[in-house]
Amino acid sequence: MSHNENQNEFDCKLINRREFIKKTAVGAGLVAATMAMPGFMLGKAEAIDLSQIPMKYKDYNVIFVSFDALQAAHVGSLGYARDVTPTIDAIAKEGFSFANTISTASWTVPASMTWFTGVYPSEHRLTNKFAVFNPPNNVLSNLKKLSPDLMTLAEVLKNNGYATGGFTGNAGVNGFFGYDQGFDTYFYEKGKFGSMGVSIPKAQEWLKDNGKKKFFMFLHGYDIHGQGIPEGGFDYRFVDKGYDKRYTGSKEEQEALREEGLEKGETTLREEDIRFWRAIYDEKIQRTDALFKKFLVDFEKTGLMDKTLFVLTSDHGTEFHEHKRFDHGFSLYDELIHVPLVIKLPGQKAGRVINDQVSSIDVMPTILDLLDVQMPEKAKNQIRGASLTPALKGSKVAKDVFFETDYRLYTFKRGIQTVDGWKLIYTMENKGRELYNVKKDPGEKVNLAEKEPRKAYELEQRLFAHFKSIGHDLTARRWETGLNPVYDSQAKPAVKK
Amino acid sequence: MIKGSVILLSCLLGAAICAYGADPVANEQQPHHEQTNVILISLQCLRADHLGVYGYKRDTSRNIDSLAKKSVLFENAISQANLTPVAQMSVLTSQYPRVNGMVSFEVTKDAVTSRTLPEILKYYGYTTAATLSSPEFFMRFDAESGTMINPGDVFSRSFDYYGRTARGPQGGSIRTVPTDAFQWLKNNKDKKFFLWIGSGLIHMPYAAAVPAPYKTMYDLPGYTPFWKNLPGNTGASDLSDDPSYDIFSRVYHNDYYWGFKPVYHLTDDDVSYVKGRYDAGVYYTDLFVGELIKLLDSLQLTEKTLIVLQSMHGDDLGEQGLFFHYDVTEPVIKNALMIRFPNGESGGKRVTQQVQGLDVMPTVLNYLDIPVPHDAQGSSLLPLVRGEAGASGSEYVFIDRLPWWEYTLSKWYLELQNANGGQFAPAEDAKLKEYQLLLQNSFDKLGYPPGDISVRSNDWKLILRKNRDLLEKVSWWRFITDKVQPVEEMELYNLKNDPGEMKNLVSERPEIVNRMKSKLLEWDASTEKQKAVYKKYDKRYIIPYP
Repeated sequence: MSHNENQNEFDCKLINRREFIKKTAVGAGLVAATMAMPGFMLGKAEAIDLSQIPMKYKDYNVIFVSFDALQAAHVGSLGYARDVTPTIDAIAKEGFSFANTISTASWTVPASMTWFTGVYPSEHRLTNKFAVFNPPNNVLSNLKKLSPDLMTLAEVLKNNGYATGGFTGNAGVNGFFGYDQGFDTYFYEKGKFGSMGVSIPKAQEWLKDNGKKKFFMFLHGYDIHGQGIPEGGFDYRFVDKGYDKRYTGSKEEQEALREEGLEKGETTLREEDIRFWRAIYDEKIQRTDALFKKFLVDFEKTGLMDKTLFVLTSDHGTEFHEHKRFDHGFSLYDELIHVPLVIKLPGQKAGRVINDQVSSIDVMPTILDLLDVQMPEKAKNQIRGASLTPALKGSKVAKDVFFETDYRLYTFKRGIQTVDGWKLIYTMENKGRELYNVKKDPGEKVNLAEKEPRKAYELEQRLFAHFKSIGHDLTARRWETGLNPVYDSQAKPAVKK
Repeated sequence: MIKGSVILLSCLLGAAICAYGADPVANEQQPHHEQTNVILISLQCLRADHLGVYGYKRDTSRNIDSLAKKSVLFENAISQANLTPVAQMSVLTSQYPRVNGMVSFEVTKDAVTSRTLPEILKYYGYTTAATLSSPEFFMRFDAESGTMINPGDVFSRSFDYYGRTARGPQGGSIRTVPTDAFQWLKNNKDKKFFLWIGSGLIHMPYAAAVPAPYKTMYDLPGYTPFWKNLPGNTGASDLSDDPSYDIFSRVYHNDYYWGFKPVYHLTDDDVSYVKGRYDAGVYYTDLFVGELIKLLDSLQLTEKTLIVLQSMHGDDLGEQGLFFHYDVTEPVIKNALMIRFPNGESGGKRVTQQVQGLDVMPTVLNYLDIPVPHDAQGSSLLPLVRGEAGASGSEYVFIDRLPWWEYTLSKWYLELQNANGGQFAPAEDAKLKEYQLLLQNSFDKLGYPPGDISVRSNDWKLILRKNRDLLEKVSWWRFITDKVQPVEEMELYNLKNDPGEMKNLVSERPEIVNRMKSKLLEWDASTEKQKAVYKKYDKRYIIPYP
């Protein structure tokens, strides 16, 4: 096991992740990346007049990257102390870094489809792995079947003459769900929680031909996710020297901890275990960042850098016992829905941190707006979010955001977070309400629903009105929990029954 | 290219949502809940058509009539049920009975978890008080121990003060007028308050708590109540002059039954006497309302108080030879409803469109600029009041006749009658055990009570009795007459031509039946889907009918 002495020292100083986030409100430039990056460090970042930056990039390329399961609080440019995301940070520094981006869901399947359809999970209906789970007559969820009228981001771009390619780690974004809709090429390795180590070479191969056209690329991998294990195994670079090796970081351990949390409501992790798992997470992040850096170095050589718009984000975060559980999907706390979002315009050399609260639902309209494409009527009418381009020019775009999860039918949760920092999570199956003042209580530890009944009441009405306005009257159905497995290991015993 | 923001979309759903919406600056006016009191006057068994302002010939309601002139009056206000706790819980929660869970006279402490109007008003800093003389809201009978208890349940929840009338030292009815409202108002006039005044005075036994000279003001000179001379009523001298449930539960199609025989046919004088005593109750209640309004004026509260006066349900007064409120007939479910706005807005306006009990809470909240809860099933009446385009009231109103009275009898009423010495003819006594057994075996002991359902439009009413056979079998009328009394599975009445609901048009108007029935069944199915969980093992207390 290798150690980094400095990092260990740093562990003692690891502060509450929320304090990292708070720091981002001051300015993300503080924890700046220092490494030399091709194409991104051509000169000193100068203060430039953002209002002069062009906002129309007709026929430019887009590379849209999802670092699956990357918690916002573990990103250097958003305030994390360990230097695990130098590449992402470098791009964040030159582009626009949205420090308060909230995903519409807390796990891959529902959250990612929001980028590609511009609607909430309740609307695209990819809310669980199976549309029908009744073994052996299961029906896999599929966008075309569940929401035949929705147009995808890739479809709109394809209609506008773009070459479209998706290179993914399969699983939550596999083609069978309809994630391939609108892509000329869509790579996913069946049966895998695949790595960028595999998807990047596939993407690069595709670029050889398609780089000559205008293109839209979706790049994704599970390297940071609980089910992702780095090639060659962990080197434990950030793990405490004296850790007793109760855990090794395997995906089986990850899975067992997730299920223990779901079953018992909490995991039995010790402080040192939590530190261990964060260290494992950081190693994965750093190694993924390095893979991505390699991709950029190669891409720089194509000469397309200044013709390409970059969007870097994540579908959801992950939990390390912040609310006594492990993994993601089952709750809507900040550690699961607060994600990084970086937009770097072609050739952009200096940007800014945008602290306005925005939603992952804004990604699709933003990309389409920047590319200045012809929008089919259907897509125009479908989109719920708003383009964030005004924010790039310095206008306020902060808004109340909504999120949801029906994870495995284990629970049905809906939530709202207001611009002024109030957050309500409503659990449909038991009408449970959690109200947090995330400004004063960033850890979401003190449920104020009883103490602030008016606030809880008003947010509850807002939340229900929102879902009603998108065609989902939450009061019109019964919410009964059930079984709808996500992982094969859960589906198998159910199939045997 | 982008749809309107979520907040804008929400605004389309209801003005209330916008009251605290994204841009508080846009709302220059102070929200009404900052300074408006609310008084909800709920009157049990008050028939709208026995008030002057609704066209009654007898001068029963001078004070309510004058309040009505400064209020918006609803000519067609329909209650959600025919029984007090069931109908009134729908008013307080804006939910159908099966959705809020108040479906019978048995209550568990936490039977209803839905939010109530006072609960929401408390969020907004209201001091909440209730002064009540309807025992349905505060008396609970523990069948196991045979005692009255006070469980502090669904009705009293969220009230800072919960006043209830008590029997005086001389006994007498608990159903007086709740005059403690006056003292409470004097003591709390400077607070922002919600006061619920519920009076059970009009309820049978009619005029029992009305003092002289009002009690007899409409009596026919020289009239003696018919039951005093009837066979079997030994100790008749003890019998009160007050028309009581015990007497009128034996009147079927204007025949008084004793020992399974119609021993007396009610005359016009008898009916007129009953109406007179009923009206005396209305008159005395009206005096109480007059005192209340006078007090509000003298405390200078009138102009900052929203006053809602409603009847919870009405009563049959012999229209089809029946008395009391067994069924969903027009006299029972057609209510008085008037709203006096603090600034006298739209005072004197009469709204003809059909509205319902469910609408009271959304209207109050809407006026106060408080968002209406998402699970409210009624609608704010303000758009109707203000004559906004598209405001049309409820084209269809749905009514649950829930539970059957026989279900209530099975639970406790007959037992209590026996314990009180019984008032049954010997022949009846012999068959009573059998009837009780039949009742007990007919209903799932801890299950959901059976009911009938009905849909009403401005012109038509359809009643559907889904368990017709069972109802016919267990019918109380069958018991006292010792004869099967046929129950129609469906009844359709044209309310315009036949307001007395005498002619069932089911076979003559199949197209109306089809339309109404499909609406009714659609509502029934959706209500079943949202039905409150009726927990089987919680201890239940009974709401008695003293």
